[in-house]
Amino acid sequence: MNLLALYCTHQTTSLAVRERLAFATSERLVTGYAAMKQRFPDTEIVILSTCNRVELYVARRSDAEPMTPPMLAQFLSEFHDLPLDDFVGELRAATGSEAVRHLFEVISSLDSMVLGEPQIVNQVREAYRVAEAQGACGPMIHALFQGAIRTSSRVRTETRLAEGKVSIASVAVGDFAKSIFDHFDDKLVLVIGAGEMAEETLRYLKDEGVREIVVVNRSPERAQRVAAEWGGRAVPWSELNTWLGQADVIVSTTGADKPIVDASLFKQVRAAAAGRTAFILDLGAPRDFDTNVGDLNDVFLYDIDSLKKTCEANRKARVREIDKARKLIDEEAAKFMAEYYHRASGEVVSRLMQDWHAVSKDELDRLFHKLPDLNEKDREQIERTVERIVNKLLHPPLEALKVEAREGTPHGLINALKRLFRI
Amino acid sequence: MLKTSVFCFLASYVLAFACELGQFRWRHALARIVSLLMAVAGLIAHTFYLLYRSNQSDLPPLLSSAHDWLLVVAWLAVLVYLFVSLAEGELGIGLVMWPVVLLLVVSAQYVTAAPSHVLDYHRNWKLLHATLLMLGTTFVLLGFVLSLLYLWQHRRLKQRQTQSRAIKLPNLELIERLNRWTILAAVPLQTLGIASGFGLSIFSKGGELAMTWTDPVVIGGAVTCLLMGVLFVWLLIQKRSPGRQVALLTAWACGFLLVTLIGLQMLTAAVGMRSIHGNASAPAAVATEGQAP
Repeated sequence: MNLLALYCTHQTTSLAVRERLAFATSERLVTGYAAMKQRFPDTEIVILSTCNRVELYVARRSDAEPMTPPMLAQFLSEFHDLPLDDFVGELRAATGSEAVRHLFEVISSLDSMVLGEPQIVNQVREAYRVAEAQGACGPMIHALFQGAIRTSSRVRTETRLAEGKVSIASVAVGDFAKSIFDHFDDKLVLVIGAGEMAEETLRYLKDEGVREIVVVNRSPERAQRVAAEWGGRAVPWSELNTWLGQADVIVSTTGADKPIVDASLFKQVRAAAAGRTAFILDLGAPRDFDTNVGDLNDVFLYDIDSLKKTCEANRKARVREIDKARKLIDEEAAKFMAEYYHRASGEVVSRLMQDWHAVSKDELDRLFHKLPDLNEKDREQIERTVERIVNKLLHPPLEALKVEAREGTPHGLINALKRLFRI
Repeated sequence: MLKTSVFCFLASYVLAFACELGQFRWRHALARIVSLLMAVAGLIAHTFYLLYRSNQSDLPPLLSSAHDWLLVVAWLAVLVYLFVSLAEGELGIGLVMWPVVLLLVVSAQYVTAAPSHVLDYHRNWKLLHATLLMLGTTFVLLGFVLSLLYLWQHRRLKQRQTQSRAIKLPNLELIERLNRWTILAAVPLQTLGIASGFGLSIFSKGGELAMTWTDPVVIGGAVTCLLMGVLFVWLLIQKRSPGRQVALLTAWACGFLLVTLIGLQMLTAAVGMRSIHGNASAPAAVATEGQAP
């Protein structure tokens, strides 16, 4: 198998190097394909470039000169105008079945920064789509990437690798807020402070359909910025209590050094909204809400620690699935290789049979020409006999080839047959 | 001819419940499929059983006896469970629904199974009375199940426990809304059911259907219905009430109604007390096997 994967990932290479090797824009990617096709004609190529990895998959016909890591490294150096020494030590390479396994692990998210994250499947699919659009794919790459997509689908359905949320914000919204509220389009979200995690939470809430967002911050400029970004409105800090009384979802990330809301204050401001459920996500450290606020009726208060437990449990559950996922990947990789070798040996078998039958047909024609008195029945009998002889003679070598293809790499035998019978 | 007995569908329901419980430890699509298959098999056997009983007594199951009436309520509960499970497979409704179904089926063994012979008169009125009460009771049962689900989910959220991957509970807002609707549907149905019962009794004054004020089933039914009525009015006048409070009240009221209705039926059957809803002359336990048509 003439397949090579050259890659650098978040596990092997620093961001400083990765970002210089990345094909960051679609224009750059298209130029990259054009340059590679020009430099390496008759080569199938896929470039996978994400924030966590830059990977090149190249394949050639089995009888063509194999691609090597230095050839690709040199191309990267020239294309990105980078000295080879700056990155060559950070590159990793895999060939043949190892390259297949690597792609299957990447698409199954075993190699991702967040184990089991779902975006990588779409990123690989997109890379394959672009390669196809650029006319850079051939039979080998098609089979490889279709096998990879099938593998990721199996891993996701047959293991729990992608189950359970692993970030604080996603757990808060996905596991808790959604267990309280049925829909979010009529809910008022109050953001106190304007931290990064609050914004991440807003993203998840927006995905759930939240429409009304109010941002309160001691710094009006920051409040304005966050409100503008998320389609909300900024209100002065002095109105905090008013909005505390009306909000359904409260996300707090102030930098206060002590709680800004205690149970008595919260009870007082919620008096008009008695019976209305409040979901409070306290992302402040130190906490912004006194813990006894959570004891009030219809108030669900979550802080970072309480959510971390869930994140950690989900992360551990995912880690427990790694072995199962690897087993599936091994199965799929073995299946892929067997199919590949079956196809490769199939070509030899078919050529061999065609050649031998062509020879037998020529000889029979010659014989029938010399014996014109033979009737149709006799001719038929002779033809059948010769065909049986050819098939019986071909049977042992072809059977050996099939067995070899089933068991692994039949290269030796294929080459031997090609040389022996001048295929 | 297909032979069915209470044991047939009771065993299926027990297995379905065991599969639901098993998913806590061993979460697998197979366990869910087995659970659903068991429920469907049980429901089919249950249907054949009710049809057989109906053919035998030449009466609709609702009018035949307290035994059949309870089994019809259980049958409806299983139907609701299957509908919800097929629509939203991961919901943990079975964990609460199956114990109630099993309780109804087992209780049906201890109430009278003797067909009522006083039904030739006012048959349609009697059918209306039994149907309204049965529908009302089914809604009460659903309200009870929903309240328990609410309290379970509420407790999980308050204690910040991770959602089980095996069993998903519905969100509080949805349960609260459904819970209100079940109560708002149950109380009028129950009230109309009891009113039609009183009407029947009045119209057949002196006849076999005449009600006695000492009939425990009538008294118990009226008292619990009154209690449900209070809850109904409270729900209507409260614009917003804490969800947990509603769930607690509903769980207590519905639970009390179910226990009272079933308990009184069992009591009258056990002590041979006279009731227009049947007596203990033919305990259900001896008449549970039937042949399906």
